[in-house]
Amino acid sequence: MAREECKALLDALNRTTACYHHLVLTVGGSADSQNLREELQKTRQKAHELAVATGARLTGALRDKSLAAEERAEFERLWVAFSGCLDLLEADMQRALALGSAFPLNAPRRPLVRTGVAGAASAVAARALSARSLRHEAEHDFDVADLQELEREVLQVGEMIQDMEMKVNVPRWTVQARQAAGAELLSGASAGASSAGGMSVEERSGPCDPSKALAATLFSAVLLAAVALAVCVAKLS
Amino acid sequence: MAAGGRARAQRPNLDKMERMVVSMQDPDEGVKMRSQRLLITVIPHAVAGGDVVQWLTQKFRVSEDEALHLGALLVRHGYLYPLRDPRSLALRPDETPYRFQTPYFWASTVWPASELDYAIYLAKRSIQRRGALLDHEKGCAPRIWQEHYDQLQWKISHAWDLVVTQAREQLRAMKQRRRGDRLVITCQEQAYWLVNRPPPGVPNVLEQGPERGSCAASRLQTCKSLDFYKWEIEYARKALGRNRLKSSVCLEAYLKFSSQRGPHDPILSGCLPSNPWVTDDDTYWAVNAPTAATPTRLRVERWGFSFQELLEDPVGRAHFMDFLEKEFSAENLSFWEACEQLRYGGQAQVPALVDAVYQQFLAPGAARWVNIDSRTMERTLAGLCRPHRYVLDDAQLHIYMLMKKDSYPRFLKSDMYKGLLTEATVPVETKRRVFPFMRKPRHCSPSPALPTAGPGGGGED
Repeated sequence: MAREECKALLDALNRTTACYHHLVLTVGGSADSQNLREELQKTRQKAHELAVATGARLTGALRDKSLAAEERAEFERLWVAFSGCLDLLEADMQRALALGSAFPLNAPRRPLVRTGVAGAASAVAARALSARSLRHEAEHDFDVADLQELEREVLQVGEMIQDMEMKVNVPRWTVQARQAAGAELLSGASAGASSAGGMSVEERSGPCDPSKALAATLFSAVLLAAVALAVCVAKLS
Repeated sequence: MAAGGRARAQRPNLDKMERMVVSMQDPDEGVKMRSQRLLITVIPHAVAGGDVVQWLTQKFRVSEDEALHLGALLVRHGYLYPLRDPRSLALRPDETPYRFQTPYFWASTVWPASELDYAIYLAKRSIQRRGALLDHEKGCAPRIWQEHYDQLQWKISHAWDLVVTQAREQLRAMKQRRRGDRLVITCQEQAYWLVNRPPPGVPNVLEQGPERGSCAASRLQTCKSLDFYKWEIEYARKALGRNRLKSSVCLEAYLKFSSQRGPHDPILSGCLPSNPWVTDDDTYWAVNAPTAATPTRLRVERWGFSFQELLEDPVGRAHFMDFLEKEFSAENLSFWEACEQLRYGGQAQVPALVDAVYQQFLAPGAARWVNIDSRTMERTLAGLCRPHRYVLDDAQLHIYMLMKKDSYPRFLKSDMYKGLLTEATVPVETKRRVFPFMRKPRHCSPSPALPTAGPGGGGED
């Protein structure tokens, strides 16, 4: 059904936007690197594709005059969420452009700000792209070439937003949000638990945590020693 | 940073602070970094307050007080945040640890902070703390965050779906990071919102007065398109055509004005008979009323300064009208007065008034025909088809310049004016009332510019 498709696309877009926001947070800081810029580019492209697809579907649905009132309300709600998400994405892209040009990666006179964030963010990007892991193929001067592309994409997103506003007229104040005031806490608790459970499952099946691996090795070593001692005691007695 | 919007041009202090922070990051000459040890995690890049103050003292060669003040500014604007007590945005010159804020959260990047972002942040905190926006740190104000949260739910209720979804997704994205990074990012966000939405009682450093000139359209002008260059060319062309006055000429005019008007200013030169606010005697106002019968000498002298002064003073205008009647050119002034009435009168009377003026002054063979040159007359007559308030402006200006160049100098040289000057009164200064129980008699029109040893040795506070 069209509504379910739109909802799924919108969820994916939300996920990608959140991951992009998270990645842009570290630009210019101590975790900035060519890999980060490449991850930003891939996430951004994926977000762009999703945005175009969702926009097309939603525009098509809302311009259809023969829609029932309930369905139309539902689509309008999705539309408001979609345009808000796109605004957030555009703002983050503009900030990424500003920060990227202010903190070029290989300039000796402009050191990066030492913020204390040191780890890699490839897992975040992998989540955004719904991939298992990410391969980095960037060349040395990736960030400079990327900035021009980013400029173009910012303008493209801006044009897309304007285009959408022209085609479909949805007054924001008439839309009633589905989520009530405390909703994020109720489902948030369960979502948090489930997501935590999901994350831990993924973590275990993925590459192991070094501390957990160490603990497991120690435990098995102690167990083996105990078994060996028991066998010796049994043999002796 | 990149050319981001006009709003940046109004915050040069932020640019300077950012340059300072970037120079602190130099691996050789920057501030000394140490690591922060928590229970299991070790997070690098912490600085001590004392190190920051010392670096500032050395780099800019200032006193320690000034370095402390600079450091405090950095902390208050959010470029450095304290690690132990995040709410107190002050720089302590001892071992208190601080850390640098990521450039994303610098005041110039995300400004102004939007309500949607704030709502997403509060939703994230609310989810993390499972329903109550309580803080486990000391000195918290949980009710404030809860109030803000409820207000936002009401203000942007249409976008609440987006807020909740984004909050959840951002939390999930954050879980993909290491524990140390997660802690740092949470602290960064908290510090950012403490600066941008300060709790009550804390002054808002980022507050600015009303927007001056261009509005805060912060779209990045990175792509130099054709329109941008066209606008620039037009702007430069207009700037070239503007009148420019040499400052020497300007200052000369200013000096002349000041020296001419000096003796006429009641504050600078005292006012006769006395300052009504001091002596409670309002003769000064009565004598200088707009429709006084006998003008004071100072007033008559002022009519000689410029034509505008003469016309603005009702008494002066009346005398000028008498003079023009003697010269048989009174219709000029009447025409000018009628045009003024048209300009400043009511909108409903405009057509009737224009008609009356035409009949009386401009029609060929009119009773009081004014002498306007042919080009202006043609333009005015063409404009009379569609009468509006300013249709007689050209003609009025022509007549004004005529009077100014021709009649006004003659008026100043005339016997009438000289007679007025001699007849004009100079009010007598009121005797200072000396109370027996006052040590110093008060001056009747005290002025900060008058010399303390006034005429008669009057005391002045």
